[in-house]
Order: sequence, then structure tokens, then C-alpha cells
Amino acid sequence: MTPAYTQVLYAACGVLLLSAVGVLWRRDLSALVRLLAVQGSALALVAAVQAAHTGSIELAVVAVIVAVLKAVVLPRILRRVLAREDQPREVRPLVNVAASLLAAGGLTLAAYAAARPLIRLDPTPASRAAPAALAVVLVAFFTLATRRRALSQIVAVLMVDNGIAAVAFLTAAGVPLIVELGVTADVLLAVLVLHILAGRLHASTGGTDLDDLRELRD
Amino acid sequence: MNLVVTGLGAAVSVSGVAAVAAVVLPPRWRPGVVGAGMTLAGCAGAVAGGWALAGRTGHAVLPALLPLGTARIDVDALSGWFLLLVGAVAALVGVYTAGYVGRSGTGASSRTALAALPLFVAAMLVVPAAGSVSTLLAAWELMALCSLLLVVAEHAHAGRRGAAVRAAGVWYAAMTQAGFVVILLGLVWLAAACGGESFAALRDAAATVPGTVRSGVFVLTAAGFAAKAGMVPLHPWLPRAHAEAPGHVSALMSAAMVSLGAYGIVRVGFDLLGGGPSWWWVLLASGGAVSALYGILQAAVAVDLKKLLAFSTAENTGLILLAIGAGGLFADVGQPALAALAVAAGLLHALNHAAFKTLLFFAAGSVVHATGSRDLDTLGGLSRRMPLTTAAFGVAALCAAALPPGNGFVSEWLLAQSLIHALPPASTLNAIAAPVAVGVVALTAGIGVVTYVKALGTGFLARPRGARAAGAREAGPVMVIAMALAAAGCVLLAVAPGLTTPGLARTVTIAMGAPARGLAGGTAGLALPGVAAVYAPMLIVAGLVVLGVGVAVVVRLVGRPRRRAIAWGCGNGPQSERTEYTATSFAEPLERIFDDVLRPEHDVDVTHYAESAYIVERVRFRRRVPDRVEAHLYGPVRAAADRAGRAARVLAAGSVHHYLAYGLVALLIVLVAGVIR
Amino acid sequence: MIGWVIAAGQPVLVMAVAPLLIGWMRLVRARLEGRAGAGIGQPWRDLRKLVRKEPISPAGSGWLFVAAPPVLLATSLLIAAIVPLAATTSRLAGSADLIVVVGLLLLGTAALALAALDTGTAFGGMGASREMAIAALVEPTLLLSTFALSARAGSTSLSAIVTAGAGHAERLVSPASLLAAAALAIAVLAETGRMPVDNPATHLELTMVHEAMVLEYAGRDLALVELASAMRLTLLLGLLANLFLPWGVATTATWGAAAIGVVVLLGKLALLAGVLAAGEVLLAKLRLFRVPELLAGSFVLALLAVTASYVLA
Repeated sequence: MTPAYTQVLYAACGVLLLSAVGVLWRRDLSALVRLLAVQGSALALVAAVQAAHTGSIELAVVAVIVAVLKAVVLPRILRRVLAREDQPREVRPLVNVAASLLAAGGLTLAAYAAARPLIRLDPTPASRAAPAALAVVLVAFFTLATRRRALSQIVAVLMVDNGIAAVAFLTAAGVPLIVELGVTADVLLAVLVLHILAGRLHASTGGTDLDDLRELRD
Repeated sequence: MNLVVTGLGAAVSVSGVAAVAAVVLPPRWRPGVVGAGMTLAGCAGAVAGGWALAGRTGHAVLPALLPLGTARIDVDALSGWFLLLVGAVAALVGVYTAGYVGRSGTGASSRTALAALPLFVAAMLVVPAAGSVSTLLAAWELMALCSLLLVVAEHAHAGRRGAAVRAAGVWYAAMTQAGFVVILLGLVWLAAACGGESFAALRDAAATVPGTVRSGVFVLTAAGFAAKAGMVPLHPWLPRAHAEAPGHVSALMSAAMVSLGAYGIVRVGFDLLGGGPSWWWVLLASGGAVSALYGILQAAVAVDLKKLLAFSTAENTGLILLAIGAGGLFADVGQPALAALAVAAGLLHALNHAAFKTLLFFAAGSVVHATGSRDLDTLGGLSRRMPLTTAAFGVAALCAAALPPGNGFVSEWLLAQSLIHALPPASTLNAIAAPVAVGVVALTAGIGVVTYVKALGTGFLARPRGARAAGAREAGPVMVIAMALAAAGCVLLAVAPGLTTPGLARTVTIAMGAPARGLAGGTAGLALPGVAAVYAPMLIVAGLVVLGVGVAVVVRLVGRPRRRAIAWGCGNGPQSERTEYTATSFAEPLERIFDDVLRPEHDVDVTHYAESAYIVERVRFRRRVPDRVEAHLYGPVRAAADRAGRAARVLAAGSVHHYLAYGLVALLIVLVAGVIR
Repeated sequence: MIGWVIAAGQPVLVMAVAPLLIGWMRLVRARLEGRAGAGIGQPWRDLRKLVRKEPISPAGSGWLFVAAPPVLLATSLLIAAIVPLAATTSRLAGSADLIVVVGLLLLGTAALALAALDTGTAFGGMGASREMAIAALVEPTLLLSTFALSARAGSTSLSAIVTAGAGHAERLVSPASLLAAAALAIAVLAETGRMPVDNPATHLELTMVHEAMVLEYAGRDLALVELASAMRLTLLLGLLANLFLPWGVATTATWGAAAIGVVVLLGKLALLAGVLAAGEVLLAKLRLFRVPELLAGSFVLALLAVTASYVLA
């Protein structure tokens, strides 16, 4: 356990969490996609650092896959969705930005409280950083619940997935490769479905505001 | 009989004499005699408190004084702290009363209102000195009754003002009696479980009482005491009663009576029960935090000067309860020294709040006396017409806004220190509570500055916006003397907080069983040697004065003389007073930022000319910031009580025989219950 | 002896440097925008001109209007005597900590806001109201950053924090430290009325915050206000630099160390001010009611910094 390992790991986890909070902060949808790419890179860095620390080749492979998929491929797909949007901003979220940010602070504290037993169980630097990953999951869920635009929702779903993956990397030194691959494939599929859905939604209602969907029920 | 008991006895006797004098003397003499009596009683109480703080204790047992048993007086340093607080406030209010109430013999200077004042003071002095449950409860109830009489002193006013006073009286009566009942239940429960009613007996037996009873007692008494302290959501009486009561009564209630709520919680929670599980204190601290934030937000958007001060009282008691809660939490997780520091911060804030709030209500009372208006929107321009009152309000506002070098800053600094040094956290709860509490304290302090800049800036500065403010005259000499004395007290507490530390340390030792962590005081200021934190107000005051005066003198010497000219009006010529920023407009940004919390109501009525829908004849704008907590929490309760009352009308058939039969039935039920048991 | 010299010398140094710093920022800005600029001595020349002009009080204003500029300058001078800028060994450093410094800054702001209200004009009230609302919301960030920083040093004393930072360089790149730095940087921008919170170069009354407050000042009053504002910026930038990059600050009471401290301080100030000026060219001013979002963001950063200081310690 070298100080450099700890420093890089903590910095990566910090970026992971900050990018999740940043999604609540920014209204610009293109900024959201950039933040997602940043978070993907940070996640890959977490996996890579853990791989180097434990000497696991399997984890190194996962790190490479994560880097390619989450930092490059998924953001690129989303950018193509974005290119068709005529109003690339989250105009009026259900909870205003300042309140969302405060809620994110509260969720982070809650994540810390929830992860405290985990740290006590196994006080390594990696598990100490686990609250940050858990906080990413909670904050992303909050985003999912309070943002209106389809693209924000897709980004939030991906961030929930990133958070779960980060928790796995940090607490169990990585899930088995096959599970990780399976989950990633699932998510990719989900994104493609959402991509198509957003396209159809756009074609039928002229926008991707999810509140428009409510009219289908009425 | 030592000096503590003698002082207290003297205070109570003088109060009694003053009350009798208020009844028998002609109106011309009443205010002076009652004021002098209150001042004497207050001084005697403060001396007794000072002796208790110096380490003396006082005990007295007066058998057969109360109908239910003996009255016990038991004064220790904790009692002494609050005796000093109440006594000092009462002494100042006594001076102010003599100048404020007038000699008309009606309203605030009527027989009842003036006789109730010294009794109120005596009751407030006996509450912290009480040494048994029954004594405490009797004094508490006397205090509640006298204050109620004083609140409704001006109920005979015609029109809306009188209606508001009556509504304030009803709210206050309901809340204060409900609070009394829960305190009664809690303390009687504790006394029953402990098998004795003197505080000494409770203290010895409390550790053996089962946990559920202890928790029940704490929740009940804390609710009752917190209601008296004006903690949100038990606060609706406070802005009404403090705003509608006459100035000297508001000062007594807001500065002294409200602090006794904090006394009750410290006495029962720490001293009698000996502390408790974390959840008690988290409950109390969250109540305190909510009340601090909500109180200061409401104060920031308030337009009524006295209502602003009342909500600021809710804020300050919130901070005191937050400090006490933090203390309890730290004690439970095994950080006794830090706990003592937090409680010390809370107690010191109670004293500081008493000092500046007395002065604030004095100045507000003078303004109301001179202009007949409490509406900040129509005041303004008083700094030239009432320079002394403005200066007094300025000193008090500096203290209340918790800006250095005011005295409010000293205790908030101490509170922040105790919270900041909670790291590394001793428990998860601590780790979450400490940063949140620091955030709350900081935001409260920030909005507090806005509030008092608004009160001073729109109420006293610039040009008058109304005819009443334009015709204002400075307060009379007696009121000015009272304000000067209170201001001197604020300044003393601000520049020499070190004077309080020996007494504070003793008080905290009584409450917590451990002295505050390295709290050292001297003539220079406060120091926490363990963590290298120092606050030296004397140096800061000296630095500010020397530098400020120096700068002013230097630039005056090199520069040219000053000239007066009209202000910039975009080339439109002189601007009228109507373009000035009012209190409403000043608070608008905050109102908008905290829109989701405050939910202000805006109505815009636009009337058009009949000839054309495009030409506007008149625009009427109305804004109101209702108390949401009150509307949502008490609305349903009031509706339910109303329904129950209507339903119970069936019983009141109007026949005397029915009513007598009810009495018989009730008697039978009691007898049957006794037999079955 | 040297402690007293530092306590007296730092205010003089800050007073001398502050207008030059403003001049430097304007120069950087001008060059980036393709203009020649007026040279870094221009603010001093402006001050000289203003001091010679006659001060004007608006009709209806009272003594507070006259008293506020000296009070504002006095708070700035006092802060300069206390905080560790060139050296941590100021004789007065022990008399106040970070919380007191924050309080003194707020005292200056409040004095100026009261003076603005005293003018009785709509612009003065508007500026005061906005400035105070922003100042109130900055407060939690400032105090929570203090919390995060003092967790590192075990004390809220500025000298202790800076000394501890200089001794343990590796702690400075920890997440807690970086987050606190980001939070404090935003708070400093808001506190000193820079972009994107306020535009110091605006000429439109309706968009002004700080400038609207001081609209009625003229002559030497205005000179004092301008000087004090420049000093506040210098102080806060110097403090920011020393809290997070404490190298070069004199921690021992020797003349040599103090001299190095002064030179390093000037270097740090020039660098930070240059970055700030460059940033201002690129940023647009936020709408007033977007400012709370920015400040809520900085508050969350500070909260995360506190959390990180004990979770990732």
C-alpha cells in the first residue's frame, strides 16, 4: 500500500463523485455528456489502480473495457442523440438546482453513514473510498427522479451503473469479469433502446420532455 | 441565611411591595415606584446570582408556603447564571418602564399591568432558584399568568390593533398552558418514579429510573420548555405576543423569560437526569437548527420591526438549543470536554442574547413611542430625529448580527469552535451532525447580518417615508438612560467576555460534571489553549477604532471640505422618498431565493379604465409572507378543536340539572375507579 | 520585535500592492482582448486624483455615509495585520482566527451596505440588498471550508493551518484540500464581486451589485472605498494562495525568511491575479438569480471537503 496508490485512488473517487454532482449543477445537456465521459475515465482509473495494486490481470482487462466503453463509446452515442435535440438544455428540473445540490450533499452524508460499517469491517484505503461510490449511486438516482429530459435520464442511468461498478471495484476488488461484461452489455442494450425510444419520442411529440409522456395516459 | 438567599428574599419582597404600591398609588406615582421596585429587585436578584456564580450556594426551606407542600429554594451556579441574567434584564427594564408607560393610568400604565410587572420579575427569579418540582411549577405558572396579563395590557385599543392584541393573548394563553401541562406531567412522572420531589432526591434516584420513563420525562419536559423558548414548531405565540406586548414587556419576555426555557432543559436534561441517549439530543439540536434557520428567514422578510425582533428571538433560542443539543450528543459519545464547551457556548449565548435583545426592544419601543408605527416600510430617517435611539439600535444590531466585535459574535464563535473540533468524529452521528450544524450556524449568521442591516438601514437611515417618521422626536431622558445602561452591558460583554469565564466554568461544571475544555478567559478575551484558538476582542476594537479614526483624520487633512448635493437620479432631478428601497424591497432577493421555504403570497390587481383595456388606472400590489409552519401544523389542530367544541355543545343543553348531573357522574366515575384499583 | 514589524508591515505592503494588483489584472485583460492597456500604475494615479477632489454627500444622508469608508478600510488593514501573508509570525496572529477574519470582512460589507441605504436612492438600496444577499449565502461556504481546513491542522488559527500545510506538502493534494480550495475560490469570487458573480467594470446601474452600492461616493470617500476593495481582493487572493500553496511563507522569525516571504507572496499574487483576469475574459456574468446555484455548488464542495477530510484521511 503505497501513498501514491492511495492518492490516485482517492483522487479518482473524488472525480467520480464530483462528476455526478456536476450533472445536477449544469443545465447544458452537452456538458452532461462530457461529465459522463469524465466519470467513465475516472471509473476506468479506479479499476486500473486496483488492478495494479492487486496484480490482477482480469481487473486490468476490465479497466480497458470500461475505458473504451464508458469513456468513449457511450458518450459518442449520446452525442449523436444530442445532435438532434433542438433545445439542448434542462430548462426546468422538478427540483431546482440549488435544492438539488443541497440534496446531493445530504445524500453523500447518508452514503457515508451507510458505508461506515463496511469500512469498519475492512479498513483498507479502497473501502474507505467506497462511500464516494455509494454516493454516486444515490446522487445519480436523485438525478433520475428529478430531471425531465430523456437525455438527462440516460446519463443518470449510466451513472448509477458507474457507481455500482465502482462500489464493486472498491469493496471486493472487482466482480468477476464475466459478470461485469454481462452488466455492461445490458446497459449498452438499454442505452440503445433508450436511444431509439428518444428518437421515436422526438418524432412523435417534437421534444424529449418526459412529462409529455403523461399525456399518453390521459 | 447567606447573601444568596438574602438577595433572593429581598428581591421577592421588594417585588411584592412594588406590586401592592402599583395597586394603591395614584397613576402619577405608579410608573416611577414600580420601575424603581423592579430595578431594586433585579439588582438584588443579580447580586444573588453573582454570589452563586462565585461559588456560594444557597438553600432555604419554607414549609407550608405552597398548598401542596413545602417550597424549596436551592441555588447553585447554574441557577446563579440565570438569576444574574433575569436580574440584570429586570433592573434595566425597571428603569425603562419608568419612562415608557406614561401616566395615563390606562393600557400599559393601568393598575393590573403595573402590578403584574414586579410579580412577573419575582416569578422569573424564583424559577431558576427553585429546588423542588412543586416550587418550580408554582413559579412557572405564576410567570405564565403574569406575562399573559402583560401581553394583553393594550387589548382595549380600538380597531385592528386591539384585535391583534386579543389574538396574541389567546395564542399565548393556549400555548403556554399546554406547555405547562406537559412540563407538569413530565416532572410529576419523574417525581413519582424517583419517590421524592426535591431536586436533590431526583438527582440521586434518576439513574435508577427505567430508560423509557427517563425518555418520556425528557421528551415531555423538553417540549414544554422549548415551547417557552419559542422553538419552531412550537413558536406561533412568540411573534404575536412579542410584537403586540408593550415595549418593556417584550424586552422582559424576549430577553429573560425565553431563556428560562433553556434553563429548564439544561436543569432537567443534564443535571437531574444526568444526560441521556444520543437521540434526545439530536431531536433537540434539530429542533434548534430548524428554529434558527426558519426564525432568521422569517425575520429577514418581516416588515414589522417588533415581529422581526421576535423571530430573531426564535433564531437565537434555536442556536442556544442547538448548542445544548450538541453538548448532550458529545457527552453521550464520550467527548465530555467538548460537550462542556458546547453547553458553555449555549449558556453564554443566552446571556449575550438577553443583553442585546433588551436593548433592541428598548430602541424599538422608543420608535413605537415616538412614531406610533412598527412598519419598517413607512419609517426611515430616524437617525437625524432620534440620534440616541438610532445609536442604541446600531450597537444592539451589531451585536445581534453576530459581527465582530459585537457580543453575539463571541458566543457564536465559541459554538463554531465546539462544533469544528468534533473531528475526528467519535460516531457516525457526530460525523454527519457536525458539518450540518456548522452550515446551519453559518447560514443563520449570514442571514442575521442581512436582517439587521435591513432593520437599521431601512428603519432608521435615509429619509423618512411616512408622516409619522418625519414627525418623530427623541425618547425621554429616562428611556435614554435605560438604553445607555443596556448598551453599556452589551459593550462590556463584547469587549471583555473573559470576565464571564469563571462563572461560566462553574455553571457548566454543575450541568455537565466536567469543566469546558481549556476555556480560558482573561481581560483580553477568550482562549482555547488546547486547540490554539484565541479571540481577543479588546485588540480588535482598539485596532478598528485607531485605524478607522486614523484613516478618517489623515484623508480629512489632505483633502478638501465636504459638500452636499442631490443624489444621482439618472438625470431626472431630485428623487422623492418613494423611490427609496423599503424593507420589503430590500428583502426581495432573499425572499426569492428561499421561495420554496417561505412561500410568499403576492397579489397584483390591475384596474383598467372602462374606455380601454390597454390603459391602466390603478395597480394594487399586496405581499404577505404567511407562517407556513403555523398554517400547516396548527390549522388542522385548530379545526379539530373547533369541531370537537361544536360537538360538545350537545352536552350544554342549558339546564342546571343536567350540569349538576354531570358533576355527580364524574364523582361516581372517580369513586368507582378508586374501588376497582 | 520582528513580530511587530510584520504586523505593521503587512498592512502597508498590502495597501501599496493592492492598486498595482488591480492595474495588473486590467493589463492582462486588456492584452488578452487585444488592447494596449493603461499600465499597472493607473489605479494609483486614479486614487491620487480622487483624493484631491471634494467629497460629496447626498442630501438627506447622515453620519454613517461618511463613516463607512474609513470603517471599511480599517477592517481591511486590521485583517492584513492578522493573516499570514508574507509570514506566519505576525505579533497579532494570535489574537484572531479564520472565523474572526470572515467576521471582519462581513463587518466591512455591512458598513458599506448601510451607507448605501443611507443615501436614500434606489440604486444604493438595490446594490446593498443584492450584496448582502450574496454575502449571506457565501457565509456557509466560508465557514465549512474553515472546518475542512482546520480538521487538517487541529485548529482554526490561520498561522497554525498555514504552518501545518507547509510542513506536510502531501496533504495539500488530498481530495479534502482540493475540494476546499475550489469551494473557497468560488467564495472569494463572490465576496470580492468578480466575474461571474458581479462585473466590476459594468456601467449599467441595473446590473450592478458592488458598484451600485458605491454609486454616490465621490472624491476621497470613493478613493477609500476603491482602495479598500482592492485590498480585500489582495488579502483574499493572498490567503487563498497561502492556505493551499503555503511554500515560501516565513514560518520562522528571521529577517531573511520574511524577505523571501514578501517576494514569494508577490509572485503568488501576480500569478493568481493573472489567472483570475484571464478567466474573466472568458466568463460571462451570471444572472443574479443563478448566483445562489453557484453558491449552493460551492457549499456542497465545502461539505464534501469536510466529509472527505475524515473519510479519506
